[in-house]
Amino acid sequence: MAWRSQLSRNLKELRILFCQTSPSSASARSFVEQNYKDLKTLNPKFPILIRECRGIEPQIWARYDMGVERGIRLEGLTEPQILKALEDLVKAGWFFNGRLSIWFQANIEDVRQLQYD
Amino acid sequence: MGLGLLASRTLKSSRILHSQYSRFRPIVTQSELQSPDASSAAAAAPQPETTPSPPKKPVGGARIHFTNPDDAIEVFVDGFPVKIPKGMTVLQACEIAGVDIPRFCYHNRLSIAGNCRMCLVEVEKSPKPVASCAMPALPGMKIKTDTPLAKKAREGVMEFLLMNHPLDCPICDQGGECDLQDQSMAFGSDRGRFTEMKRSVVDKNLGPLVKTVMTRCIQCTRCVRFATEVAGVQDLGMLGRGSGEEIGTYVEKLMTSELSGNVIDICPVGALTSKPFAFKARNWELKGTETIDVTDAVGSNIQIDSRGPEVMRILPRLNEDINEEWISDKTRFCYDGLKRQRLNDPMIRGAHGRFKAVSWRDALAVVAEVALHVKPEEIVGIAGQLSDAESMMALKDLLNRMGSNNVWCEGTGTNPSADLRYRYLMNSSIAGLEKADVFLLVGTQPRYEAAMINARIRKTVRASNAKVGYIGPPADFNYDYQHLGVGPKTLIEIAEGRHSFCSAILNAKNPAIIVGSGLFEREDKDAIFYAAETIAKNGNVIRPDWSGFNVLLLSAAQAAALDLGLVPESSNSIESAKFLYLMGADNVNLDKVPADAFVVYQGHHGDRSVYRANVILPSAAYSEKEGTYENTEGRTLQTLPAVPTVGDARDDWKIIRALSEVSRICLPYDTLGSLRSRMRTVAPNLLHLDEIEPATFGPSMSIDCTQEINLTPFKAAVENFYMTNSVTRASKIMAQCSAMLLKE
Repeated sequence: MAWRSQLSRNLKELRILFCQTSPSSASARSFVEQNYKDLKTLNPKFPILIRECRGIEPQIWARYDMGVERGIRLEGLTEPQILKALEDLVKAGWFFNGRLSIWFQANIEDVRQLQYD
Repeated sequence: MGLGLLASRTLKSSRILHSQYSRFRPIVTQSELQSPDASSAAAAAPQPETTPSPPKKPVGGARIHFTNPDDAIEVFVDGFPVKIPKGMTVLQACEIAGVDIPRFCYHNRLSIAGNCRMCLVEVEKSPKPVASCAMPALPGMKIKTDTPLAKKAREGVMEFLLMNHPLDCPICDQGGECDLQDQSMAFGSDRGRFTEMKRSVVDKNLGPLVKTVMTRCIQCTRCVRFATEVAGVQDLGMLGRGSGEEIGTYVEKLMTSELSGNVIDICPVGALTSKPFAFKARNWELKGTETIDVTDAVGSNIQIDSRGPEVMRILPRLNEDINEEWISDKTRFCYDGLKRQRLNDPMIRGAHGRFKAVSWRDALAVVAEVALHVKPEEIVGIAGQLSDAESMMALKDLLNRMGSNNVWCEGTGTNPSADLRYRYLMNSSIAGLEKADVFLLVGTQPRYEAAMINARIRKTVRASNAKVGYIGPPADFNYDYQHLGVGPKTLIEIAEGRHSFCSAILNAKNPAIIVGSGLFEREDKDAIFYAAETIAKNGNVIRPDWSGFNVLLLSAAQAAALDLGLVPESSNSIESAKFLYLMGADNVNLDKVPADAFVVYQGHHGDRSVYRANVILPSAAYSEKEGTYENTEGRTLQTLPAVPTVGDARDDWKIIRALSEVSRICLPYDTLGSLRSRMRTVAPNLLHLDEIEPATFGPSMSIDCTQEINLTPFKAAVENFYMTNSVTRASKIMAQCSAMLLKE
């Protein structure tokens, strides 16, 4: 479980979105309940944003350096599976956090005509 | 208003009745016309006993809630049975039955005075007509609102009211939205018998907001009751008796309430009108736009009345959950600030320190050029108090893609805890505060930070004698409160159970703790919040049926900013910034910004931060754009554009989107709709308009705090109620208010 303390190093922000009441979000809710304190203690300055909204699909989003984001849908996943998904997101951080992504972004995005209005 | 409709209906029916005279009606005076009895008898005579029209719908869609079904009683209004709860007045019963009774003094949010007598109706077995606003409905009562007796009574009352009312409607600001005008059309006699002199009354000076023409006053006492009951100031009163009766301040005194503007709305005649609006426009020339207010974190529902490109006035809109039907003076009168000090062209500061207007293309090119040549960690972005959620989302995305993680919103402090939403929202909701029976205000002065929430607390204190404890600098609230202490010392005492106020919290059914967001700026805010949460845990403040742990935010942008995760990575990034992007941020301390830093100011007013800016990008103010805001209770609200933007200004998010294109980062959205889809992956609650999404977790999730509490006393978060943001600082009216009213 060493990756848990890597959260703040590999990621810039973690967002967990779920519904307050729906059964499909139940595992996401209990995941937050079980793991939030632990993750926050290990990464005190790291933003773990818990956002609730009626009727949405549970999802987890990780933001890496240079604004790169990856999201995983949590519907149907059990708590250990969510933990595994989070671990994958954290471990994917080494790829996104290189300066590589600067180059990636500047060249792939097409520069469109300016539209001021 | 329903009365206007009624008036036109009455007019229409009378026209049909006397159609043979409709074209050439000679003006004659006959002896039988001099007597009101004869005219009402004439009106009654041609109407045969017709079958009553089908039941009407309640006035204004009114609904009744029966707390106890056994208490329901049945009364008959114009022959139709209607079920109402016990204790309702005859007037309320008529409203439920769909009959709008004319009234002047009765107002459903104020106590009953019963002195205008306009609401007289006939009740079977009662010898005289009764004032329906003051008469409780009794089981089986047969109320008749449309009989000759009731009509004659109204006509008579109207005649008395008009006796001393001046005939200056053509120069009166209330003209067109005057209850007296409407009701005299609908219920008054068509000729007067008055030949004596009218009385006149000296006008009173109530300050820079309310204009008085006391001769027009009909002594309904709504303003007196509003001031004492809702605003909580004992300034207005009734002097004299009989025809010498007048409304006034007993001694020469201004009305020092932050809700004083509401007396303009409740005055049924033109006695109290808006001073800044005087002689500016007629209400029928104005276009109303239903939007929300952003001068504080309440998000009061307002209607912006505009004529052409100009905001003429701001009126409240009914929303029982937020502002009921009142708004604060800052909300109502700050609009002249929208016309002054505006930034209308993109500008670049030249070599001599002077700004030069340039084209958008040039300005954006300069900004992008600088942004691409500084290190990502030296880029800092700060959103302002009035920023909408869309533009903050765009700003955050842009800076994140540039490699910077230092984006925050002013007023949330350098190290905000945005993880769990309960930590920055008013969890009990504004309307929910009415259920509370003990309040603990920690470092907050709601009267100046959120006047509408203060009105709600005052309402609760008045209704249920709720106890209020306050920790903070000495303050003047308009309700009884217990000043527990000035600083964290008292807070610790309560948290540790050593203070006498603890028993009040423990014995309370629904205790509410309100923590001011002015504390966000303190170094030891984590420890203070931890102490407040400890009180919440010990005092049983958070239960499944009641969550009384509240944070009162200061500005309209804060809740959405924290929801969107505008959290800076390092707490002192401003000191090492080389590229500072201020999106309407005027309250940040820019002294620590290095001299060689490049500062971009995007905003609508030339306010504090413009002095330090290198480039100015003009944007739209809240009256000119569609934007999502979240108020302090977590309710999503939306502004709508009422007037066009000034000069070459653009919407905030569009400027950022264009800048991203010039800097070759290219944000993946170019419509408001796609930007909102992006928000759905960050804070989906911002897409649920007019809804509160309650936080799931409470203080049980907070981790133990090891921070030491600093014992320096709390400071007042708002120094000057009338001037808190760039719009209000540019407003002349607000300047007059702070000069005249705060002096006292």
